[in-house]
Formats: sequence, structure tokens, C-alpha cells
Amino acid sequence: MRNPKFIILLIALLIASIGILSIYSCTYQKEGKFWELIYQRQILWVILGLVFFLIMSNLNYRRLWDITYILYALMILLLLLVFVLGISRLGAQRWLRVIWFNVQPSELAKLIIVIFLSRYFSSKSVDDISLRASRFGILRGLLFPFIFVAVPMGLIIQQPDLGSAVLISFIFIAMLYLAGVRLRYILIFLLVALFSGPVFWHFLRDYQQERILVFLNPNIDPLGAGYTIIQSKIAIGSGGIFGKGWLCGTQSQLHFLPESHTDFIFATLAEEWGLAGSIIVLFLYYLLIRQGIQIALRTQDYFGRLLAWGISLMLVIQVFINIAMTFGLAPVVGLPLPLASYGGSCLFVTFISLGILANINRTRTVF
Amino acid sequence: MRTKIVNSAVIFVFLFLAFGLFNLQVIQGNRYRELSNKNCIRLLPQPGTRGRILDRQGNIIVDNYLSYDVMILPQEEKGLEKSLTKISGVLGRSPQDLKEAFNSGFTVPFLPVTVAKNIDLKKVFALEELKPGLANIIIQPHPQRVYPYKRLACHVLGYLNEIDHWRLRKLADYGYKAKDIVGFGGVEEKYDYYLRQEEGGSSVEVDHRGRIVRLLGFRPPQSGKDIQLTLDLKIQKIAEDKLRDKKGSVILMEPYTGEILALANNPNFAPSIFMEKSEASITNLFNNPHAPLINRAISGLYPAGSVFKLILATAALETGKINPETTFSCPGTMHIGRQEFSCWDRHNQQNLYNAITHSCNIFFYRTGLLLGAQLIHNYALKFGLSKPTGVELPYEAGGFVPSPLLKRIYKFQNWFDGDTANLSIGQGELLVTPLQISRMMAVFANKGILITPYIVKAIEGQRITSQRKITRVPIKESTIDYIRGALKNVIADPNGTGNVLSNLSVSVAGKTGTAQVAPGQKSHGWFAGFFPFENPKFVICVLLEHGGSGFASCVLAREIIEAMIKEGVL
Repeated sequence: MRNPKFIILLIALLIASIGILSIYSCTYQKEGKFWELIYQRQILWVILGLVFFLIMSNLNYRRLWDITYILYALMILLLLLVFVLGISRLGAQRWLRVIWFNVQPSELAKLIIVIFLSRYFSSKSVDDISLRASRFGILRGLLFPFIFVAVPMGLIIQQPDLGSAVLISFIFIAMLYLAGVRLRYILIFLLVALFSGPVFWHFLRDYQQERILVFLNPNIDPLGAGYTIIQSKIAIGSGGIFGKGWLCGTQSQLHFLPESHTDFIFATLAEEWGLAGSIIVLFLYYLLIRQGIQIALRTQDYFGRLLAWGISLMLVIQVFINIAMTFGLAPVVGLPLPLASYGGSCLFVTFISLGILANINRTRTVF
Repeated sequence: MRTKIVNSAVIFVFLFLAFGLFNLQVIQGNRYRELSNKNCIRLLPQPGTRGRILDRQGNIIVDNYLSYDVMILPQEEKGLEKSLTKISGVLGRSPQDLKEAFNSGFTVPFLPVTVAKNIDLKKVFALEELKPGLANIIIQPHPQRVYPYKRLACHVLGYLNEIDHWRLRKLADYGYKAKDIVGFGGVEEKYDYYLRQEEGGSSVEVDHRGRIVRLLGFRPPQSGKDIQLTLDLKIQKIAEDKLRDKKGSVILMEPYTGEILALANNPNFAPSIFMEKSEASITNLFNNPHAPLINRAISGLYPAGSVFKLILATAALETGKINPETTFSCPGTMHIGRQEFSCWDRHNQQNLYNAITHSCNIFFYRTGLLLGAQLIHNYALKFGLSKPTGVELPYEAGGFVPSPLLKRIYKFQNWFDGDTANLSIGQGELLVTPLQISRMMAVFANKGILITPYIVKAIEGQRITSQRKITRVPIKESTIDYIRGALKNVIADPNGTGNVLSNLSVSVAGKTGTAQVAPGQKSHGWFAGFFPFENPKFVICVLLEHGGSGFASCVLAREIIEAMIKEGVL
């Protein structure tokens, strides 16, 4: 029972099951073959995710160190392929068709960037085997890693997938901080990012600009983009302490709430299970991430430690952005809730990440 | 140190989220519960106006006017009953009737439901006076399509109706929603994206009695873009006028640019029927065996008849299989294989010039056999047959030009000389649309250019010139001049098949055609031509479905040209 691998798996499966229940709840009334089967597909994906978890947890994570550059090249290739062969859905070209289901390479990119940054910052100095990151100058400490992150990020923004891009930039800052890069470099980066904001604004698509404006004031477009936020807040708020009960949520069931089975799954959940249920779900996420952080703290290997930190923070940031979005506290950027939202790509990547975590815990004693 | 800070940041994030939940679900929980229960947010949509459709001079063919709908905000049962009784008193309809309309129109509790449409202004005022007592009644101005010329150009315009399942699936990604009104057929469908208005509206918070407490937000509606057509209202009117009581299609086109000046079909329909929503007349329209909804000029497929002989003449002159001096004798009938093929008359020894003038079948049987079916097929394709012309109207048919290979592929049958003979006079499996024939005739009018016909001149005052393909047909000028001369002679020669068109104040050139159909039915009559002969300004194509002969079409063409001269549009 004390085995972290077992605990991680248990919590992940618990969250995924709650997700499946909510997906079933907000889709079972919709007509059509696609909607009828949607929760079964999610079950299938959870099972496949489990397989990925078991494979990754038995594969020495140090191998990732060896193939980091191959992974990076593969990621760039996949992201470029999206432009050539990608399938457009909901106005964005994010998916690649692989035999019988659609893969979203930007999901995979998040993990690969975490692996890449972990390796980059865990290089040791030759003479005294200490971490070199804290002694990096601005070039090696900020500019080079930024260029390596900016290339896939630029491709992801072009898809456009703003949510993943925002997530990656948060991960980048967090990794800089944890790797021990000098604080003033991080501050420089933040300042530059802040001041380039107005320039960046012009590169956003119309609907993305609209979403950010709507985030600032949902009432400017009550029929369009603001509608989702208003309905999502009503859904969560009307759940109260104990919720309306499973299959009884009016907001999600009567289709007031768009995307209720993907990005807004938390609103569905909070409406039906109230404060009690949602706090439990939040707590489960916290436990999961705590496992990750503890693994990071226990690990002596720099690469493993940074990797564990990166994966844990990736999850934290995703959970935070997604849930804050349903509260109307973050712009609607289209980021799924890991483990709970419907969607294969995100689920697989999350299970793979957790598998790597479990393996880091297992192998840490080797060094 | 840093790890500790990050660790506390993670804990802070979760506490922050938990507090956010607490805030929404407990502190503000009651308010949201109420909003959800009654769904206090009401959306009052305010439609914009759809773009208008104008003719080339800017006359309005399709306009909008304001009609008034009575809507009711769904709320508690008692207020609903009371309001419905009052409304029924004003409108003179039974409360049960209105209740039914309410029940069928109800979608979600926060959207008002339309119970009566298109009420007149007096009743609007009467209802407005009721409103202070009954807060849940909304009178919504609602722009409606109006057709000042009734049926005029109905096939070009198309009509409006509620979006169907098939279109919704295709268009959902472009912001189309269920119950949207969209264009069906014609310009209304093809340019729906431009004509379409964007719905605006306001969201308001209302109290338990349906009274508006405060405005949460407002977005002004956006009107659609006006579309200017190349149609000339005067010519269109003449064409439809003359075509009345007949079955068929008339096209007038500018030969150099491909602007369609008039496109008339009969039988036709009144697009306003779809606005009035009378089920019976709509069903009638769909079940009418004469298919009044079909745009015959672009979707109707007919054998080309003798008009097709021009393609043989061109092919024969171009390939040198015959020259202007070649003559064939026409004894009235000839045998090809075991079958007997006949001409409509007996002609003696004659050359190509006279054969076109008299539309001699035997001459073209022999020419066709000299050319071979594949060559004829190739030349027909050069004139744009067998594929859609690319006019910006939906549901254009491509037609069919047979060839030995296609027959082998589709029917597993061999090609015989008899098939070549049939093809040579535009019979057999050959199928064309009137627009394709107009385009073919335009090649002779403009001396060798295959234009792409078009019907939309400008969108919101901006001319659209892109994507108009103009290709030169690779034929010699001498060939075109020779055939043009013959086309003129068809009209000018006293024995020419189109002689009825002579003696007009404008010189016409053209070719008639009589396309035989199933035995026992009257033939289709074709006339395709252009005028004035020297500097053509119009290409005309007349098709009369089961009109008897090309002569009938010539008579109709003459009437149209005479009327055009009288109206001074020439």
C-alpha cells in the first residue's frame, strides 16, 4: 500500500472514473451513434492509458535522457505534419489522423518539452559534478532554452492552440525557476513577455482576442463567447453544497453548457456533485501531484528530479487553468482537464507522464 | 529553498481553487441556484436584415420589410394562460391554437417563444397597449423577404427556408444553427454566407414575473451584404413574359464577358410561398410533375439536336476532313449499317455552308462518319460541353457527351457507326444544358473565346472579378468566320431554318435545333444565336421543352428581340 506507483495508479483511475461518470451524464441524452458510444470510447482509452502507464513505469526513465533529441525532432516533425495533413475541427487544425482515431500532437509536445528542459538543465560541470544551471549566463540560462521551446510553441500557436502554448510558457518559467537559473534572468524574461504582450496581441486570431476580451467582461457578448462562461458559472454555482445529483444537472443536460464533456467537464461535475464532490476531486488531484512532488524531493538524480518536478507542475498548471477557466477566472483557452476530460490524446499523455513518475520513484535508488 | 516555494505555490493553487468553489457554490450559491432554476437570463435576439439582391442597374429585385411577431417569455403557468387569452382576443385566434404554437416553439426556458407571426400594424398597437399589464409579451420586429416582382427571376434568386438537416451538418462549423433561415437554390443559396445577417441581441436578467430587471449586455445585429446581379430587369421581364404558357428556358448573355442578362424558366414558382409557410402550397410545389423548382437553364439536361452540328462543322474544317468545297448529296435517306437514317427533307448536292443553312442531316451523318466519334467528342469538350460551365449558381448539371470509350466503360457495349450518326446530329446519349449551348454560341459570337458565364456582378458595391476563367478555343479565325457566315445565312436565306427571324431591324445569326425525344412525345425546340451580327451584344438561347420544333423557338426568339427593340434595350 505504501508503494507510490500503486497510489498514483489508484488516484489516476479514481479521477478517470469520475470523469467517465460525468461524460456519461452529459452525453447520454444526446442523440446519435457518436454520443451514445462516447463514454465507452473513454473507457477504452483509459484502459489503453493504463497499458501505457505500465509500460512507461517499467522502462528506465534514463532512456529518455538518451533519446531526448530524437523525441524533440519527432515532436517538431509531428507538429509540422499537422499543418500538412492535419484535420480541422472547430476552426483549428490540431489533429492528426492515425488509423482509427485522431491524435493531438500538441498534447505530446508538452511532455517532450518537459523532458527536453529537464535534460538541458541537468547537465553537470565536468570538474565538481555540481549543477551548472545556477552558474549559467543569460545566453545559456535563458536564451538557448527559450529558442528551443519557442520553435514548437510557435507551431502550436499557429494551429491555433492557445491553451497548450500558455501551458508550455508556464512550464518553461517553472522549470527555469526550479533548475536554479538566476532569478534576475527569470525576471527579465517575465518583463520582456509582459511588454511584448501588446505586440503579440496582433498575432492572435479574432476569436482568441474576443475570448480574452470576454474573459475580462463576459457580458460584452452574452450570445457568443461570453455565454459559455456565464453558463459555466451558473452550472457550478447552482450545484451548491451537495449538488443536484448524478444525471440531474440541468445546465449540462439541457445543453446550456457547451463543451460540457471536454473542456468544461469540471462544471458538469461541480453541478451534479456540489461542493462536497468537487472538493474531493480537487483533493484527489492534490494527492496525485503531492506524490509527484515527493518523488521529486526524494530523487537524487538531477535529471529525474527535474523531470518529476516538470511533470507534477505540468499537471498542476493544467488543472489550475482548466478549473479557473470554468470559474471565469481564466480566459477560455481550450485546455482539457487531465484524466477527467473526454479525449484520447490528453489521457494517454497524462498516463505516460504518470508512468514516468512511477519509474523515477523506482529507479531513484540506483544512483 | 526554491523547491519549498514551489511546493507552497502548489498548495496555494489548490487552496485558491477550493476557495473559488466555495465562493461560487456557497457564498454565491443561492444566487446561481436561482439563476439556474428560473434561468433568469433571457436572451432577446434581434435579427439583422438579410442582404438585398439588385439587378445590374441597381433596381431592387429582393427586398426586406419589417413584419411583427408576437413572442412570449416562458414563465409560470398562470401568467402564460392569461397572456395567451389576451393575445387571442386581439388576434382573433383561439387560445388553444396559440398554446399549441407555444408548446411546439418552446426550446429553452430563457428564450422567448414566437406564438404568432407576421401580424399587421394595427394589432401591433393594440398589443402594445396590453403590455403594461402583461410583462411577458414581446413584440419583435422581424425583417422579412419581399419580392416586388413576384415570380421574376425566381430560379436565379432561389428562396428562403428553415435550414434542413443536411445543410446544418455541412454548415454547423460556419456558425449556422438549427432553425436558421437560409437560402435554397440560386443566389440565395450560393451567396448565403454574404447575404446572411448576423443576429444580435441583448441578454437581460428578469424577475420572477418576467419583468426585465437589468440589461446584462447588448450586441447590435449586423446586416447582410447586398448582392448586385448581372441581370437586366427589363430583359428578364421580356423573357419571362414571352415564355409564359410555354415550358422551357430562355437565356440572354453578354458574349464577351459572360454576364447573364436574363435567365428565365417556365414553369416557375413564387418564392414568397416559403415566407408564408403554407404547407399545402409548398407540398404542391414539390410534388408538381412539371418541376417548377428546377432551374432548367442550368440543371435541365436535353439532347442538343441540330445545334450540335456546329461542333461537327468546326471539327471537320479544323481537321481538314472536309473543306468549304466538299459537297454531299442528300437523297432524303441513307443506310448506315442495317439501319436507315433520314433527313427531314430532300436536299441536293450541297456544301457545308448550305448544309448548316438547311440543317441537313445526311450531310452531317457523312461528316460525322469521316470525323469519327472520338474527334467529335474531343471538339465538344473544347466548347465546354460535358462539364458544368462554372456559373455561380448551385446544382448546375454537367451534361454528357458520349464516346466509344465511355460507352465501353459504362455500358459494356461496342460503339457502332449508327451511334456516330446519332451523335452527329446531336441525338443519342448526348445531353446538354441551355447554358452550355449559350456558351458554345458565344464562342462564335466573340470569335473564339470560351467565357465563364456569371451572374453576380458585385457584393456590397465591390465588383468581383476573380476566378473568372476565360480560355481561347484553339480554332482558326477563318473557321469561325466561315461558320458565322453560315449562321447568318440560316436566318437570311429564304430557305434557312431560322428565316422567321429575318426582317428585324437588327441582324441576327443563329442555329435552330429540333431534338427528338421518346416516340410519341413532341420534340424539344432549340434556337441559339447572337445579335447584332457585326458587333454582337447578346447571345440568346431558347429551349422549348416538347415545343415541337426549332421553328417554335425561333418564333419565341423573334418575339423577345422585337420586344427588346421596342423597349429600347438593344
